Amino acid sequence: MVAQTQDETRATTSRRRWWPASLDSTLLGLALVLIWEVGVRVGQVPVYLLPPPSTVLMRIVTDYRLLFMHTIVTVNEVLVGFGLAIAVSIPLAAILAQFRPLERALYPILVASQTIPKVAIAPLIVVWFGFGLFPKVLIAFLICFFPILIDALIGFRSTPKEVIWLARSMGAPRRRIFLNFQLPAALPHIFGGLKVASTLAVVGAVVGEFVASDRGLGYQLIVANGMLDVVLSFAILVVLSVVGILLFALVDLVERLLLPWHISHRSTGQERP
Amino acid sequence: MVATLQFRNVSKVYQTATGPIEALRDFDLDVGEGEFISIVGPSGCGKSTLLSMASGLAFPSSGTISVRGEPVTAPVTDLGIVFQTDVLLDWRTIIDNILIQPEMRGLDRNAFRPRALDLMKMVGLEGFEKKFPYELSGGMRQRVSICRALIHEPQLLLMDEPFGALDALTREQMVMELHQIWLETRKSVIFITHDIQEAVLLADRVIVMTPRPGRIAEIIKTDLPHPRRPATMETKRFVSVVAQIRHLFEKHGVLKSY
Repeated sequence: MVAQTQDETRATTSRRRWWPASLDSTLLGLALVLIWEVGVRVGQVPVYLLPPPSTVLMRIVTDYRLLFMHTIVTVNEVLVGFGLAIAVSIPLAAILAQFRPLERALYPILVASQTIPKVAIAPLIVVWFGFGLFPKVLIAFLICFFPILIDALIGFRSTPKEVIWLARSMGAPRRRIFLNFQLPAALPHIFGGLKVASTLAVVGAVVGEFVASDRGLGYQLIVANGMLDVVLSFAILVVLSVVGILLFALVDLVERLLLPWHISHRSTGQERP
Repeated sequence: MVATLQFRNVSKVYQTATGPIEALRDFDLDVGEGEFISIVGPSGCGKSTLLSMASGLAFPSSGTISVRGEPVTAPVTDLGIVFQTDVLLDWRTIIDNILIQPEMRGLDRNAFRPRALDLMKMVGLEGFEKKFPYELSGGMRQRVSICRALIHEPQLLLMDEPFGALDALTREQMVMELHQIWLETRKSVIFITHDIQEAVLLADRVIVMTPRPGRIAEIIKTDLPHPRRPATMETKRFVSVVAQIRHLFEKHGVLKSY
């Protein structure tokens, strides 16, 4: 009976498609790049306004040393800021979820603090903490902190009351209830927050570099813009987005490894025998 | 004989934002050792309140509840609970879902493994140890949650509409299986349901409840011979008990009379 249902689903989905789903977006992306390339060349758009993708690609190849050096700097800021946000947000969410009064007191303040744009306080942070690695890490941290906290909090709070009831009937102490029932159930939510935050971390680091820096992709972007070197600007944007995608993919991979049981990763989807 | 579970004039009033709600009034019941009690009543008759008080997670506004003569003041751990939803942990395999019971109690889980396998065999889940919950049907999942409720050999089994979410055929099958399990293990059971037939078929005594505030309308001894079979539902006694409960519900306005 199991085999039958699976065969049926497979039959309905595979009738018209034999290619992997990831190919769709790859093809679409390539098509867009192609339109861009052809459009720029046919329309004779000047390179200092919008360079064709092939020129940008060539620039990445020729300037790879420069780009690589700055990428290392930025990636370092991103990873430290992101890691710090994970290390602070998740435990904080766990504590808030355990103590309702604390949550009620702290939650509005956290939300209010989020209404202050990080970009606006970046100059202040530089005034306070100088030009080094720390202010960039701090901005990346501040920007990542909130989505992880909120999603983790939702995750920890969404344990059904029956589960808690069941756990208490087993005489389990609070710590064991948390580790065995609440934390695993919250992980899918937490990973949702981590994915959002992973892309924001790059934004945070670049904002930090914009304000005050002498290295990093954000710094190099300012320099390229100052020199009207649009091709280099585009090259940097490509590298930045690759960094963001890789970090996102890393989070996704860890999620797949940790949560093979979760509905979003089941190869055969929703169906049950 | 000391009752496994004893309710003495138990009442429960909840304070809500819109004023107090009386969920249960003067509930009085002794559940004997190895006795199967069905509680049947409309929604809002305080059934869930009863269960949460029996498991020591909520306490009566007045009256007392005691387990084997000891008043309940903290969560009761010598019991197994089966809910309407199976509440299996998606990230644990079937056997690990069953073994979480001894694990949480700080007992040696390997010592309980053979018993877990026996229970799985008893409910027809042999060979499913390494599967994950999402690979099982609703009926199978509920069987797992019954195994989990039995593995530590509790004296008392609380079941809150355990078959309410299952389709009619699976449901009938599960009722007979539960009866078989009960005959073999002879736990005290409190079985809450909306289904009159199910309640009568399984129970020694059926507690018929009134709408809110929940009170006992009547306690009916089923007096049906064991073991009970689907054919039991065609006997004169069964039909008359079911009719009697229907009349009670009509009298209390739970069911319309035509």
